[in-house]
Amino acid sequence: MRKADIIVALGLMLVGFIVLADTIRLGFGWGMSGPEAGFFPFYMGLGIVICTFFIVLRGIKTYKKEGPGKPIVVEGGLTQILWVLIPAAGMVLLSELIGLHLATVLFLAFYMGVVGKMHWIKVVLVSLLIPLATYIVFDKLFLIPLPEGLWGKYLRPF
Amino acid sequence: MDILNNFNSLMMGLSVAMQPYNLMIAVIGLILGIIVGVLPGLGGANGCAILIPITFAMPPTAAVILLACVYWGALYGGSICSILFNIPGEPWAVAVTFDGYPMAKSGRAGKALVLSSLSHGVGAVIGVILLTFFAPIIAEFALKFGPPETAAVMILTFSAMTRLGGKSALKSLVAIFLGFILAAVGMDIVSGKLRMTYGTVPLMGGFSFIVAVIGLFGLGEIFLTVEQGLKMEGIKARVRLKDVWDALREMVRYRKILMMGSLIGCWLGIQPGGATPASFMAYGFAKSSAADKDQYGKGASSGIIAPEAAGHGAGTSATLPMITLGIPGSPTMAVIMGGLMIWGLQPGPMLFKEHADFVWGLIGSIWVANFLGLFLVLAFVPLFAAILKIRFSILMPVIIYVCAIGAYAVNNRMIDIHYMILFGIVGFLFKKLDYPIAPMVLALVLGSMAESAVRQALIMGRGNPLIFFRPPIALPLMLLALFLFFLPTLSKWKQRLSAKKET
Repeated sequence: MRKADIIVALGLMLVGFIVLADTIRLGFGWGMSGPEAGFFPFYMGLGIVICTFFIVLRGIKTYKKEGPGKPIVVEGGLTQILWVLIPAAGMVLLSELIGLHLATVLFLAFYMGVVGKMHWIKVVLVSLLIPLATYIVFDKLFLIPLPEGLWGKYLRPF
Repeated sequence: MDILNNFNSLMMGLSVAMQPYNLMIAVIGLILGIIVGVLPGLGGANGCAILIPITFAMPPTAAVILLACVYWGALYGGSICSILFNIPGEPWAVAVTFDGYPMAKSGRAGKALVLSSLSHGVGAVIGVILLTFFAPIIAEFALKFGPPETAAVMILTFSAMTRLGGKSALKSLVAIFLGFILAAVGMDIVSGKLRMTYGTVPLMGGFSFIVAVIGLFGLGEIFLTVEQGLKMEGIKARVRLKDVWDALREMVRYRKILMMGSLIGCWLGIQPGGATPASFMAYGFAKSSAADKDQYGKGASSGIIAPEAAGHGAGTSATLPMITLGIPGSPTMAVIMGGLMIWGLQPGPMLFKEHADFVWGLIGSIWVANFLGLFLVLAFVPLFAAILKIRFSILMPVIIYVCAIGAYAVNNRMIDIHYMILFGIVGFLFKKLDYPIAPMVLALVLGSMAESAVRQALIMGRGNPLIFFRPPIALPLMLLALFLFFLPTLSKWKQRLSAKKET
């Protein structure tokens, strides 16, 4: 937990520095018409760098005094999270190709079948009906087009 | 005279809210809100965020009624899950689990639910009374605000949030700064320059707060839930007339705690803390002032009444700073305010002058919706509780799917779904490490307004930052902000000093 605390703070400090670099390029002082474009983000970036510096300092201090403490993720929790994160990321990548709805059909089927170990009839029914219903509601009723992906045009039945 | 005027406006607002179309929208919003509130992983803030794209096609009044009703519904719904399953469906319903679940477990689930819903109702009514009578006055006052005053109000807002959000002020500050930076990515409206895009095309569009809210609150929450391994073991509940009668008697008995809870809630909603700290604070107050402290945690009625009234009071009164000052009092209100800006309305005092029907329609709908919500919850509790019986392996992917639709539909950009997953991971880490998320969302929504206020004020003052302390209005606001910010530090010093004296 304490190690993660320090690492995250360092990461945020890095974000702060990246922001500072760009605002210095833009100019953060007083320009022709008042404060320049980089003025506001510059001080925000500076604020992040200063605050994270103290967070890191305090983190190292407690780390030295009390040791690393509990791990950030509960034991066995990480695999659970990855079981959600990786399929979800896969679904997103797939929707670039075959569209969100079709990718969701596969995502739902995978999750219910493999992780949930449900009966295959249920799996097929639910994973087909839910995306179909949202497709009708969004694309047809509210006319909000959802991503159909690179090959979506050829895969859509109607 | 003024009061009479307000009364007339309220009647107009009620008639707007009672139009069949708006009434239908309100009921749909409430049902969606309760469902969203019951489900862990979906909450008021991201429920509203997901629905914003759908509202583009609606008239603004109906749109705001829909989103506001989702919020009220989520406030009611969060408690159902807390009481019956001991799993808070919403962060503001955590305090209810302390006494709500034990009471439900001892066979009085119906009574616990009625108590909670009625307390919600009372908190809402007190909040909306405040709103009806004070909002026009504050709006009138806020018309005198210039850029320095606006900036001062925002600084006050964030200094109040810094001390309420998490445990560490440094981490709250980091969250706020990060929110402002994310809001600044993309084109600068004043100079037209591209900021922090580093030559990449996707960053030119900037970050949408809707995507951030869906990722931070939605996916982050899901990761937390799976990490801890969710077990749904609910208590069956039916609300009988006897429960209602019992609950009503208890409410009268604990009327002082009820009032205190509502008022704490209203205060935190205005100042802005949001419903979550309000419910905890009210629970703490109720416990410390009670004669029978050992009853707390075992199903004390007052332990349900206080946090529930405070939570809903805060939720309702969070509307007040949003429509009068353009500053949302809670994360969900921030999302609704973002919606307002997308619909082409400028939140702030001019709303009362230019869009009176909109503002009073919203206030009217709060009156109507809270009574409807009370009825819906009490009548259909078993139905809503049944949602949680659905297997998690169905629920979870569907929630992610819905989140992805919401994130995509804001700008029709695929990259937003990628951002959503990224924000989900950030949200998980932030929750774990005690970085508060609410101030970050608020900063992201207020970003461009805050920046332009600061820049205009500095131009007015020719670069002299003392302009932010200009009397008569900005000065006391800034002093209050500084006071609130340093209050905890001061009291810590005081404790240390007195501790030294004793030893």
